[in-house]
Amino acid sequence: MTETAYRLTFRRILRAEWTKLAGLRSTWILLAAVAAVTVALAGGIGWATRRAAGTTITTGTVAAHAFQGIDLFALVLGVIGIVSITGEYGSGAIRATLTAVPRRLPVLWAKTLVLVAAAAPVMIASCVAAVYVAQAATPASARIGLGDGTLLRATLGAAAAPLVMAVLGVALGAMLRHTAGAITTFVVVMLLVPALLPAALPGSAGDRVMPYVPVAADQALYTLSAGNPFRLLSPASALVALAGWMLVALAGAAAVLHRRDA
Amino acid sequence: MIEVTTLTKRYGRTLAVDELTFTVRPGQVTGFLGPNGAGKSTTMRTIVGLDRPTSGRATVDGVPYRDQPAPLCAVGTLLDAKALHKGRTAVGHLRALAQTHGIPDRRVTELLELTGLGAVAHRRVGGYSLGMLQRLGIAAALLGDPGTLILDEPVNGLDPDGVLWLRTLVRDLAAQGRTVLISSHLMSEMALTADQLLIIGRGRLLADTTVTELIDRVAVGRVHVRTPDVEPLAALIRARGASAERDGTDALDVTGLDATAIGLLARDHRLALAELTPHRASLEAAYMDLTRDDAEYHSEGAHQ
Repeated sequence: MTETAYRLTFRRILRAEWTKLAGLRSTWILLAAVAAVTVALAGGIGWATRRAAGTTITTGTVAAHAFQGIDLFALVLGVIGIVSITGEYGSGAIRATLTAVPRRLPVLWAKTLVLVAAAAPVMIASCVAAVYVAQAATPASARIGLGDGTLLRATLGAAAAPLVMAVLGVALGAMLRHTAGAITTFVVVMLLVPALLPAALPGSAGDRVMPYVPVAADQALYTLSAGNPFRLLSPASALVALAGWMLVALAGAAAVLHRRDA
Repeated sequence: MIEVTTLTKRYGRTLAVDELTFTVRPGQVTGFLGPNGAGKSTTMRTIVGLDRPTSGRATVDGVPYRDQPAPLCAVGTLLDAKALHKGRTAVGHLRALAQTHGIPDRRVTELLELTGLGAVAHRRVGGYSLGMLQRLGIAAALLGDPGTLILDEPVNGLDPDGVLWLRTLVRDLAAQGRTVLISSHLMSEMALTADQLLIIGRGRLLADTTVTELIDRVAVGRVHVRTPDVEPLAALIRARGASAERDGTDALDVTGLDATAIGLLARDHRLALAELTPHRASLEAAYMDLTRDDAEYHSEGAHQ
């Protein structure tokens, strides 16, 4: 009733969404667990290949060893993104959220930004750690550090790749609203479609389309060796393709959020 | 002030709200009554923009909810107390809502104390009883110190103490000049809490009245008369335009004439009376009467 300075601003909505994300233990437990697995995997693979001996260390092999766990990270961050929205729909808490922010769309942007902001430091730290842990068994003189421009770029790519999936997850969650349905769709689109696409499309069409599917473009961000089953985009083109996917997904999410009854 | 104008909401083929028009004024408690499925919740959800109207509009203080610069300060809403993330604490839930508007933490603490949740504020809400969740919902509704309150069935799950507490609270809030719309399917509760009544059935407005008016309306009631002179008395009553129905050999059920008038009539015509009993219909009966044909879900024999 009293005249106050209380009003909605985007900064405040961001802060509120941060409180919600940070207030759930599951987010941090999941991130920590996947970070540990990623780094451990990098160490294990690096050590095993070193024992196999004779392998020469190149930026390509370092990236391949260090970033083996990134696909897992991408999957988990996609799911965290999905649940950050579907969890609210499932419990009904979304109605409190949207009553506080009746224009709705700022909630979508805030959830996306907050998740990326929370996950980015974890991703960067895990990827940097993975690069060094993967070479723990390598003689110091043969190690390649992040002073190497190509490896640095790949490391940042590896850190960014799961963030893209987090954004796609948030968008998918807002479009589908149901946790199980959204996760299933995510897995099908991210894993199954790329596996089936080459067979489904005639001749070279598959080869031309494949590099653009989100999972392939994601991998192009951090893959340095040429030993891939299919052609990858250049990191720059991959980034553009992924930006396109995120834009389309968020636009769809915004349209659904704006139109449908909560 | 809430203004709802020819509001219609359709879910597929179901017409939930049908051209509803009403105004909820400040300074009094307005009870929103109707059987289950009458459209109370849908109307409330539409006012705060959770559902989009198929047609028509709803405004709070002249502005659609969506366009309020500080929605939580304009309207406090309690729609479904159970609609909470189970893993959050009461403090966490309120703090996140408050932060969207820059409402300080001390207001959160203040409301947790006011609603009696201070001691459990740091526990996860998954372990709360329905009564505690209702209190938390009321705390959330009051966060922005709003001029209008919309509470959907807030007494559900409250213990008798809680019911009394809530009744006093909403009456106080209205006395401070706020607009209070509170829904219930129980006439008995509303009769104690509300001043004004909006009664709806199948999405249509059946009555926009005060509790006093409704009592007056039902006070007409029926008078049971026992007399040895059944036929002559019945004739006299009917001559006055009232109705008199035979009840056995020596009694009449009279409607349209009160007990005093019947007594005088009998005296003036030297007729004997053995019994003269007014039967008042209850508010509950009046409400049942109003909504009888409009209840979405009938139970067999419930209205006999």
